[in-house]
Amino acid sequence: MKDIIRQLVEAIGPSGYEGEVRALVQKMLKGHVDSMKVDALGNLIARKGKKGVDGLTIMLSAHLDEIGIIATHIDDNGFVRFTSIGGVLPRNTAGGRVRFLKTGQVGVIGLEAHKNTSSVPGLDKMYIDLGASRRAGVKVSVGDVAAFDRPFEDLGGRLVAKAMDDRIGVAILVEVMKGLKATPHEVVGVFSTQEEVGIRGATTAAYGVDPDLGIALDVTLTGDTPNADTMAVALGNGPAIKVKDSGMISDPRVVAWMEAGARKARLPFQREVLSGGTTDARSIQMARAGVPVGCLSIPCRYVHSPSEMVDYGDVQNSVKLLLALLARPVKLGGR
Amino acid sequence: MEETREHLKQMISVAGLSGHEAPIHALLESAWQPLTDEQHTSRLGSLHALKRGRAKAPRNSLAIVTHMDAIGLMVKDVDAAGLLHLEAIGGIDARVLPGQLVTLHARGGDLPGVIVIPPAHALPEDQSSGVPSLAHLRVDTGLRPAQARRAVQVGDLISFATLPQELDGDLLVGHSLDNRACVAVLTETLRLLQTRTHAWDVWAVATVQEEITLFGALTSGYALRPTLAVVIDVTFAKSPGAPAHKAFEMNKGPALDWGPNTHPRLYKEVENLARRLEIPIQPSVYAQSSGTDAILLQVAAEGIPTAILSIPLRYMHTPVEIIHTKDIERAARLLAEFISGLDDAFMEKLRLDTPGEGEAS
Repeated sequence: MKDIIRQLVEAIGPSGYEGEVRALVQKMLKGHVDSMKVDALGNLIARKGKKGVDGLTIMLSAHLDEIGIIATHIDDNGFVRFTSIGGVLPRNTAGGRVRFLKTGQVGVIGLEAHKNTSSVPGLDKMYIDLGASRRAGVKVSVGDVAAFDRPFEDLGGRLVAKAMDDRIGVAILVEVMKGLKATPHEVVGVFSTQEEVGIRGATTAAYGVDPDLGIALDVTLTGDTPNADTMAVALGNGPAIKVKDSGMISDPRVVAWMEAGARKARLPFQREVLSGGTTDARSIQMARAGVPVGCLSIPCRYVHSPSEMVDYGDVQNSVKLLLALLARPVKLGGR
Repeated sequence: MEETREHLKQMISVAGLSGHEAPIHALLESAWQPLTDEQHTSRLGSLHALKRGRAKAPRNSLAIVTHMDAIGLMVKDVDAAGLLHLEAIGGIDARVLPGQLVTLHARGGDLPGVIVIPPAHALPEDQSSGVPSLAHLRVDTGLRPAQARRAVQVGDLISFATLPQELDGDLLVGHSLDNRACVAVLTETLRLLQTRTHAWDVWAVATVQEEITLFGALTSGYALRPTLAVVIDVTFAKSPGAPAHKAFEMNKGPALDWGPNTHPRLYKEVENLARRLEIPIQPSVYAQSSGTDAILLQVAAEGIPTAILSIPLRYMHTPVEIIHTKDIERAARLLAEFISGLDDAFMEKLRLDTPGEGEAS
């Protein structure tokens, strides 16, 4: 599975420009699912299994896109000004490198001189240096997009890369769709677009799929680093079953079903309350007449930095838990 | 109305925090069962109760939409001392939390607790005077650390334990009067309709999740596709320090809200009816967002013409919200009269492609 993760995190796909990542997923799923289609917003919708008597249409959603930058201006000396696609944090930016999607060109993020070194200037005080000496040498145009450039690192138990948010969810969903054998459900794997800019892909995918149950697969924050804000999630303690985030409260019946499934399969899990951020599950919940939703989160340190870290055991247990849950009929209890 | 007052006291004695509305849902389902013809639960847990109209099918329908969920707290972590760290559900006003009695809804049953504030010297410098933020408040259940870690889970709910209290006859104080006071308006409307006839179908809708996402109203609007909707919610009543132009009188009738979430012709119809019946209403203007279920209900499916009635309430989003029960009575009478008057021709009055009363063409 590490090879799949490496391929996915090293591909470039800022929100709205997910084509390269989508093609990679299509290649990985070929021959392993019943059907695949791409909808109007670029979501890849893969289906497997038939909805039996005891079955549901279950939508699993992991987003293809990552945060990135887009060029807004190129000056006479060839320096490129840019703005963010999604939640790019200035404190994680200066000194980093980006790689442009179209040309593969690499640039360094520079920072204008600033006197107060204890504060972090905004992205408008930064620029990309492509190593050009004048504008004529620059192959980047206004509107070109780029992602952070940082290779995948396998630290043994822990994996580090840019775009673990949410390629790790994508990798898990790929493994689940491939590994799914007998299921009473119609399982719809949605590889969604534009999550980082307002959960836009999953909104239309959920309307189109019209599922009976929805589960998002995405990263969550942790409280296990020095002086971290309080959060009862740690790397390596198992996948996190979301109870609440700042954009959604999981259906309590879905939480109970996921927990019971984890206990039955003897897999570790953690209960998650996330103070900032939300996932595709929010958009699935509000689709049509409403959908009961939950979210399986992969604990991740340094989210929205070029070095996002996950625990490989958590990743493998996420795949196992989802396969165990999907193998049996779903009985949601009382609220 | 005496019956409705007792019903309201019951409602503010049960939990039902946003996303976890089961306790209030169960209470309402049994309260509305004798008053309506059918009851359903939406996929997100909103209660839909239908009182059929007399007109020939297919009939128009009016949905009266009011949220039943309440703000509260959630356990974010259990620390080494067994104290509970907190996450807000909805717009909690943290300034009033220290010293409050709460109920922790744990796996093994409800447990009492108190919200505590660390001594000033134990807080970071910027938090040591005034009221610290929610991040520094804890719930103490009295359990020893090991017991607390066994009994309490991350994600357990915490609700206010304030008991209902009548003040000065017609005033009622308690938690969750936002929005259970408005659910009481709807229950009282259904009671009044028992002795009246109405042509249109009436959907009584108690929505979930208003305090966090408004998704209850959005999804119920999509599912029911009512011809018209009236949302009932609370608004700010005059209270010490509240600027006069931003607050409404208690015991002067419900506010009728004018702004972008309001259908202009429907507003006029309700306003004219109130004037004819001599039921006092207070005009209330919101410039952008009504802050109610109407925001998403209005844009559900192909769009739903919506009006908003508000009950003035003091000390919103605290455990000691106060309402005047006469305002509940007045709002219910206005709604019952409005429903009785709906006929086949009513929708013609709402057409926006014809010039209306007092409007430039």
